[in-house]
Amino acid sequence: MTGRRSAWLLIAPLLVVLLLSFVLPLILLLPTSFQEYQPGQGIVSGSFTLENYLRIATDGYYREVVLRTLVLGVSVTILCLLTGYPVAYLIVRGNPRWRLPLTLLVIFPLMLNLVVRSFGWIVLLTNRGVVNNLLIDLGIIETPLKLMFNMTGLLIGLTHIYLPFMVLMLVAALQNVPRDVESAASCLGASRVRVFWSVTFPLTAPGIIGGSILVFVLTISALVTPRMLGGPTYQVMATLIYDEYMQLLDWPSGSALSFALAFATIFIIWLSNRLTKKWAGMA
Amino acid sequence: MSDLKPTIPIRIFALLVVLFLQLPVLVVILTSFSETSYLTIPPQGWTLKWFGEVLSDPTYLRAIKNSLILAVSSTVLSLVLGVAAAYGLFRKAIPGHEAITSLLMAPLIVPAVVIGVAMLQYVTLVGMRGSFLVLILAHVVITVPYILRSALASLSGIDLSVEEAARVLGADGPTAFRLVTLPLIKPGLVAGALFAFVTSMENVPVTIFLASARQTTLPILIFSSVEMGVNPGVAAVSTLLIIATVIVLVLAERWTGFHKFV
Repeated sequence: MTGRRSAWLLIAPLLVVLLLSFVLPLILLLPTSFQEYQPGQGIVSGSFTLENYLRIATDGYYREVVLRTLVLGVSVTILCLLTGYPVAYLIVRGNPRWRLPLTLLVIFPLMLNLVVRSFGWIVLLTNRGVVNNLLIDLGIIETPLKLMFNMTGLLIGLTHIYLPFMVLMLVAALQNVPRDVESAASCLGASRVRVFWSVTFPLTAPGIIGGSILVFVLTISALVTPRMLGGPTYQVMATLIYDEYMQLLDWPSGSALSFALAFATIFIIWLSNRLTKKWAGMA
Repeated sequence: MSDLKPTIPIRIFALLVVLFLQLPVLVVILTSFSETSYLTIPPQGWTLKWFGEVLSDPTYLRAIKNSLILAVSSTVLSLVLGVAAAYGLFRKAIPGHEAITSLLMAPLIVPAVVIGVAMLQYVTLVGMRGSFLVLILAHVVITVPYILRSALASLSGIDLSVEEAARVLGADGPTAFRLVTLPLIKPGLVAGALFAFVTSMENVPVTIFLASARQTTLPILIFSSVEMGVNPGVAAVSTLLIIATVIVLVLAERWTGFHKFV
């Protein structure tokens, strides 16, 4: 039994740290989300209300922000998939000598500070930014295009930031596709396109699902890029939480929104795990 | 089978996407050397003055120092706690080891903003707001999953009989771990520690709720300066971060074949 005791001794320190500085704070946040908030006075002590949660579904502004966040999540996921698949395909099936440089070029932006990357997009996309200047100098447009503080800016920035995750997941999935199966299909007379759609693509489904879930979950909870490229007015759920805590000091509403976001995230991960297991079981 | 290679249009498209990935990095570097505060392509005049401004600005220097102290201390603490826990977990000797692993990995799936607000309320309740220890612990929470994951993966990849052989030959547990197991899992741990370090260095969504004005980190400083518009000083400090990242990435690739761990 000494094995078990030493195992506990090894795990205990981290477990204590996490219980005290992660689990307990989350548990203590829950009651706050049911408290009433009076602007100017703060939290009404001893109050209990479902209003903070109901508002997320009923209030027009909140609903718009939640909807926008979800639309953003789906769009960024699709964009990452469409642009990431060819890159992963080139890395795995292209010239082996390009493999390492290409992989490093994909990892490099991932390792780079998120704030720096978002700042780069601001330089590119503002009214007097690189893209607008270039288009005006070339005589393509007269007045600057509005590329920031709207959906366009967020789509570009967030796709850029989460694309490497998608590529890496797809690379792993493509590596697991046995070449023989593709060769067999092609020997039996299938065209390139047919080989891809009936063999390669379905066999990379786990990577596609895994990558999509990851990108979606990261997108809906992103704070930095939406704030920097969307500004204080074009809100998503995470930036709204930030404002409710730091500007409005409405902690009850902020914590209700936090739990909504956390439950959405955890539910999607749980659902995808279940579905993946079910599919794996059928295969 | 030449017909399974990517076609020319796919190659061109993929290379354009890879170029797109480097685009913000390129403009940040160009901006930091440009004389005008708004970048024009090609840049009008080259200068190093923005670097001079940043490196003589005490606000930036303090933020850089804070970021480094925070990242180093949270990475070291995460390594110690995480590797110990991984070693305790991977033999599956205790009941519920799977549940404990999930719990320890949970900070990865809870949105960082939520961890941030929960910590903010908690430290306000216990009266520790503004303490640097709180920041370090918060960073341990968000970095430890990376260490744990790489440590567990590395441990499951080695042959345990070598450690048992060392014990049979008379080494006690800690010695066997230090001389046999630790060197074997080192590449994985280096990769995990690097991820932890980078994660801590760039964190905004948790740090911004907890850091007082004096504890500002570099990303928080950039994040809040940007609200006032594009600024070549920010570009210069960003370029310094880019250079640091390149150096770390090259070294890591040399030491551990880093790309295999991503």
